[in-house]
Amino acid sequence: MFKKILIANRGEIAVRIVKACREMNIISAAIYSDADKNALHVRTADEAYHVGNSPASESYLDVNKVLTIAKKISADAVHPGYGFLSENAEFINSVGEAGITFIGPSAESVKLMGEKTAARRLMEKSKVPIVPGTVNPIQSIEEGKEIAEKIGYPVMLKAAAGGGGKGMRKVFSSDEFSNAFERAKNESKKAFSDDNIYIEKFIENPKHIEVQILGDQFGNYIHLYERDCSVQRRHQKVIEEAPSAFVDEETRKHLTTAAINAAKACNYFNAGTIEFLMDENKDFYFLEMNTRLQVEHPVTEMITGIDLVKEQIKIAAGEKLKIKQNEFTNKGFAIECRVYAEDVDNNFAPSIGTIIHHRLPSGPGIRVDRGIDLQTEVSVYYDPLLSKLIAWGKTRDEAIARMKRALGEYQIAGVITNMGACRWVLNHPKFLDSSFTINFIDEEFLSLQPGEWKNNISQEINDVVTVMAALLKAEENKLMPSKYNCSGNNNWDSEEDA
Amino acid sequence: MHDFIVTVGEEKRIVSVTNNHIVLDGKKLAVELSKVNKHLYLLRLDNKVFEVTTTKLSNEKYSFLVTGNYFETTVRTSLREKAVEYLNQKQRLSRNDIIKAPMPGLLLKLKKKTGDKVEMGESIAILEAMKMENDIISPATGIIKEVNKKEGMSVEKDEIILKIE
Repeated sequence: MFKKILIANRGEIAVRIVKACREMNIISAAIYSDADKNALHVRTADEAYHVGNSPASESYLDVNKVLTIAKKISADAVHPGYGFLSENAEFINSVGEAGITFIGPSAESVKLMGEKTAARRLMEKSKVPIVPGTVNPIQSIEEGKEIAEKIGYPVMLKAAAGGGGKGMRKVFSSDEFSNAFERAKNESKKAFSDDNIYIEKFIENPKHIEVQILGDQFGNYIHLYERDCSVQRRHQKVIEEAPSAFVDEETRKHLTTAAINAAKACNYFNAGTIEFLMDENKDFYFLEMNTRLQVEHPVTEMITGIDLVKEQIKIAAGEKLKIKQNEFTNKGFAIECRVYAEDVDNNFAPSIGTIIHHRLPSGPGIRVDRGIDLQTEVSVYYDPLLSKLIAWGKTRDEAIARMKRALGEYQIAGVITNMGACRWVLNHPKFLDSSFTINFIDEEFLSLQPGEWKNNISQEINDVVTVMAALLKAEENKLMPSKYNCSGNNNWDSEEDA
Repeated sequence: MHDFIVTVGEEKRIVSVTNNHIVLDGKKLAVELSKVNKHLYLLRLDNKVFEVTTTKLSNEKYSFLVTGNYFETTVRTSLREKAVEYLNQKQRLSRNDIIKAPMPGLLLKLKKKTGDKVEMGESIAILEAMKMENDIISPATGIIKEVNKKEGMSVEKDEIILKIE
């Protein structure tokens, strides 16, 4: 087993990996940029090394800097987390060339699945259903328009090198094509240094259903059931759950078989996720494979009891998968809310600042994977994900009830979060009956008048806030009657109460 | 006795703070307050104790988090509120449309220059934030009066990008 793992990431996922290392008695080494000097992953890891300036391109994305540290500190493995260098085949190769183990799949698998058009060709060959469209990048606007005409609008333009919604555009008609094409190309070039774009037919009102798999280096595979990640804004997931209440046993069988076939087709090992779109008839189409750990991996851990990060480390160290498919099943339901620093009332604009107050929710069935604590800095440089709130219940209803409770308990001050909006989703009839699709936020939330989603907040809470504002202002203006003046002491003042 | 005007969303409410009690929109409330720390207070209202997380946003603005509900409030003495209302009204009469950055980011593209015509709903700039390109849409039809930023500049939230007349 490894002695020291360099964690080439930041935020909650770096903290998550530190925890796995600690449980396995492996030394964890964090890296940090200027902006992350006080970050939680730095405080948590056994060792922490400065990697560069705040912009990701000069720190977490800089292959040479990360590699130099890995060598200098004699790390025998590198865990990439998700995002940053996790799906960078060149990085995987350079890590290998330095005699260090990459905790993840081979560079070949990543390359194959990262090139979305190549992946689509391979899936087509391996009898995994794909969304109708091109299996090669589009060469010109004219060619693209012709193809779009043939498969019928609306179509999706997607970055061949892409993922995470970047370089992706929906096109309704040929009038919009060239503008959308240029925009997708630009975004893709910036995000992935590659501007190849392909076309897919737009599937109306699908669900985003994905299957978690694990494979070792000896050709053994298991699936860990599916996740429903349909609650998305701007193609970014917000709420995920496992298993999907929409998927029946028969569909689950086909879905998980297709996922394992997809993994086998690219000789995959380590943890991976095969993403599908599922239409209302429960027909599903391969979307892409994520060749890394997913943000939403905890919901799978909660229903299977399997620690995915530890399994990743064991697989990378050359161990055989000990868990057999027939030795476990899915138990209960788990939901995850991604707590983002964003202002949902201001077009989901990122909210930046210092965390000045932080209190975690707790109690039965609650887990928090977080990247923040007091005095951590939430900056413009990185993804606005602060932490992930996960709730497990014997039934889906119980998981939802626990999540709603925990969202009420979680206190964060210093930045605006999306927690209130998450709770709005959990109360929505379409969430409760699992009929929500990837258009849920667009159709149900964005169509509301500004602030309308807050309408169900009780008058009592409004009163509390109103009185608090007046009292704080009175205190500040030194107009506070002594009865309420509590600065410096914690006593309930009830002496002269009638 | 001191009167405060508290604005939550669109709603304005009057809070009177006196030596013996608090009156909210004319209704007397049984309130007790205890400070845990600068950012966490306990407020007792009748038989219920609320944990209230608070942040001071500016001289007149506080944000609150109560049982998972987030609020931003503006609070002024009643005198100050009247003055602000008067100023707003005056400003409204000679108001131009000001385009501010809705979020911090990089100004990728400015599609208009001073003197250009602009239609309501038209994209006038592209702001890159968190690696996503966001269109900034004109809220009004008119003529660009002033451009305060250049392409490639980074902007803070609420910084003025341009003005429309």
